[in-house]
Amino acid sequence: MALADIPRRRNRFDRRFDRIRELEEAGRLKHPTGSRLLRKFISNRLAVVGLVVFSVIILASIFAPLLTPWDPTKINLRAMLQPPSWEHWLGTDKTGRDVFARVLYGGRISILVGLGSAVVSAIIGVIVGCYAGYVGGWFDAICMRISEIIMAFPELILVLMLVSILGQSLSNIMIIFIVGGWCGIYRLARASMLSLREEEYVQALRSFGLSVPLICFKHILPNALGPIMVNITLSTAAFILAEAGLSFLGLGVPMNIATWGNILNVAQDLGVLQNNWWIWLPVGTTISLFVLSVNFIGDGLRDATDPTQQG
Amino acid sequence: MLAYVIRRVLIMIPMAVAISFLIYLGLDATPGDAVSFMLSPEQMSGANPERLAELREALGLNQPLFVRYFIWLWGLLQGNFGYTLTGGVPISDLLARRLPATLELAAVALVLSTVFGSILGIISALRRGSATDNTLTVVGMVGVSIPEFFFGLVAITVFALNLGWLPVGGRSMPQYITFWDRLPHLVMPSLVLSIMMTAGVMRYARAAMLDALNKDFIKTARSKGLPEWRVNLLHGFRVALTPVVVLIGFRLPALIGGSVIVEQVFQWPGVGSLFVLSVRNQDYPVVMAVALISVVTVLVVSVVIDVLTAIIDPRVRLGN
Repeated sequence: MALADIPRRRNRFDRRFDRIRELEEAGRLKHPTGSRLLRKFISNRLAVVGLVVFSVIILASIFAPLLTPWDPTKINLRAMLQPPSWEHWLGTDKTGRDVFARVLYGGRISILVGLGSAVVSAIIGVIVGCYAGYVGGWFDAICMRISEIIMAFPELILVLMLVSILGQSLSNIMIIFIVGGWCGIYRLARASMLSLREEEYVQALRSFGLSVPLICFKHILPNALGPIMVNITLSTAAFILAEAGLSFLGLGVPMNIATWGNILNVAQDLGVLQNNWWIWLPVGTTISLFVLSVNFIGDGLRDATDPTQQG
Repeated sequence: MLAYVIRRVLIMIPMAVAISFLIYLGLDATPGDAVSFMLSPEQMSGANPERLAELREALGLNQPLFVRYFIWLWGLLQGNFGYTLTGGVPISDLLARRLPATLELAAVALVLSTVFGSILGIISALRRGSATDNTLTVVGMVGVSIPEFFFGLVAITVFALNLGWLPVGGRSMPQYITFWDRLPHLVMPSLVLSIMMTAGVMRYARAAMLDALNKDFIKTARSKGLPEWRVNLLHGFRVALTPVVVLIGFRLPALIGGSVIVEQVFQWPGVGSLFVLSVRNQDYPVVMAVALISVVTVLVVSVVIDVLTAIIDPRVRLGN
């Protein structure tokens, strides 16, 4: 007796299958079109929500001058510590600067530091990792040792140590993040190179006499792009958290530049914490929302690019 | 087994030496006269320029870089970290005073995150795909997205300033002697420090438990007719626990970084707040000493974890 003939109760899978068959017979079943990656990403509700929040916050910081008439650095001693009002949407801080304007303009710097450091360290990591992984030899050995040394440091300790040596400035913070950040992507790119370089198509390319950089970057790299993209989003989230933490300690971007962390720095004062919630609560929420949205996007990308999860 | 341990230790030592050399290079290149952190303030104050030059010669500070490095390293191995630039206190005394506070905080946070993280992860795995599982996954994401210090600020505002249940910060008052007296001070910092790690453990525990539940021996246990809770807890959980415990090693860098920030938020008198203070004051000898200690701790713990894994799982030590 065939399996299908065994009498059993019909479950929801049968009903779903019936529905699909019905559609097929009516000729209305469309073959999905477009990129599978895009389709999978869009079907992930959290990732889409993340993308929306991410875009809103980025657009709001880019178009900050259109959204607020206030200057984030202009001190107004006649309007100190005002609670939120129609004039100042999120009130003013200790020196009368408009908090809403500071959050918007601060976003520019914070996102620049986070996204910029993540992208630059990814570029360095990918170039070094692909080349070292494909060619191997002494270059690979040296890079590996350097990355091991850097990764032995707890991230914050390394960053603070370098801050104490190099001093505080916007470019120094980004350089420090890149120095600490390229290793993760380097390891990732190197590992996928090592596994892909033995594939038959690579041997074929080699026998055609293609140059090493061409094989590495044009033919192998696209196959390893998924995890690299995921890693970029996750390190963006990590760098934004790190910048906020550093600036909160007063050791990040110099205090005269508005960043999300610098705005939060004043909350170390218990008086501000208790009486002036508008200075620290909205900006802390903005950081959290932004990082959360980046993490959701990263998670969605991971699911969409993972070839072991077909669908 | 012994060969494996020796091999792991032999890999670690050159790393530690290379890192300590880099840290010494940093120390050497930063401003501040090397004499001033190698001598106690009493020795410094009574010294005229000729005497200082003699001391410099006696301490080997006129020797080439490598010799100076080895002198410094030899001092470290004997527990002599030198003196702080600000105040001239022996660094080893400072560390000895502050280390217990940090260890207390870290240990509590480690235990809390392990317990909560594995319980939540296992619940999540047992109800895979359910509303509980999805909610826990999202909550975990929220947990790793909120900066620790923001969590801390909200907690201080709510529980200390508005409700008045817990102290704002600090570790102890003079009359507080036992651990129980200090407990209220410990509650908020340790919980805040454990939040991020709990989310991480939860993720790993869920994956490990799902992995374990798919194994053949679970089917065997089920087909023997064992009750479901027995299968899940005694057979599945035991196997899933190994990677979770091993994760302690991976959590250590996050723990060290997190405690720097959390100690600052709650004014906890540990090594983390000492580190921040020294970075602010550009007190390089202290900065480098703390950095070196944290790296060596991470390296040693990773070797210990590797050895433990090898004891638990023979595939590790026999493979390659």
